[in-house]
Amino acid sequence: MFALAMPVSPAQAADLPERSVIMDEASFSRFHRLTARPLRAYLLRSCGDLDLANDLLQETYFRFLKSGFEGNDDGHRRNYLYRIATNLLTDHYRRQRPQTHEVPEEDGSRGHADEIHLRNDVGGAMAEIGARDRQMLWLAYVEGASHREIAEIMSLKPASVRSMLFRARKRLADELRSRGLRPKLEGS
Amino acid sequence: MTHAECPHEKAVLAAVRSGEWSPELEEHRNGCLSCAELTVVVAALTNDAKALMAMQEPVPDPSPVWLRARLASKERDFQRATRAIVWVQRAAVGLALGIGVAFAPNVWHTLKTAAASLDLGSPVLDVPRAAGSPLLIVVCSMMILGLLAAWELIAAREV
Repeated sequence: MFALAMPVSPAQAADLPERSVIMDEASFSRFHRLTARPLRAYLLRSCGDLDLANDLLQETYFRFLKSGFEGNDDGHRRNYLYRIATNLLTDHYRRQRPQTHEVPEEDGSRGHADEIHLRNDVGGAMAEIGARDRQMLWLAYVEGASHREIAEIMSLKPASVRSMLFRARKRLADELRSRGLRPKLEGS
Repeated sequence: MTHAECPHEKAVLAAVRSGEWSPELEEHRNGCLSCAELTVVVAALTNDAKALMAMQEPVPDPSPVWLRARLASKERDFQRATRAIVWVQRAAVGLALGIGVAFAPNVWHTLKTAAASLDLGSPVLDVPRAAGSPLLIVVCSMMILGLLAAWELIAAREV
């Protein structure tokens, strides 16, 4: 569990594609070791397909390096990495549904990668809610991102994140309850 | 849809993550729908994340990504460095086309006259005069340079 750092400003983001690789290979390897597994978990739970998640993971790091983004620290860089990954997921959903320009509330991907979704009941419940809900819940409760960071990563209005997150949480809680899932709590 | 955030939400979130519940907080959670939902969701997601991160399948090797990015970076640097040359080449092609269009009506007649009056035995310095017009030499030179530049541009694009 980690907190994400400050978001990338639009001015910085606009400047990024013209810059060169800045990290050296050793720094990149270290950063990759630190972030690859959590990022793949995020991608995997969002798209539900291990091969696709691995492809998106590679493409995310490639775009990250290509951007030449330096960041202030690892948290800052990680934040930017998740933003790239989220954009790639959005592009993936758009390619699947060319008639819409929005990330789908329900991506209809249930069953397209049963081995991941059905690995446990939480995965099954996550597969029942929308792609955007999955991403938002993961960023908030697994990655520990603030509402402002979620807004930056997912290109949303900061003011709407709170209510969207609340609704997403309710949807997932309902799904979990319908599966009879209760958390194992030390205090209960 | 409206919602009210429970003031205990942060404390509940911390307790779910740490597993340390005070009796008061536990009692609150059992009576608060929002905090009960939060507890269920965070605990489920945390366990799910742990399971996914502990997966046996290795993450893809980062080395190819690094090499691909280096290659893209070098290509971008090369394109940046040769941008000025490309513009000069484009200008030369444009100039050659302009000159070609301007002189097109008379070019064949001028070439024929020049060829007829050309004295190949004359010294090099006299060639423009012998060809009938120094301007013709300039025009021909520019045309040749323009063609060379166009050929270079096309070859670079094919590469």
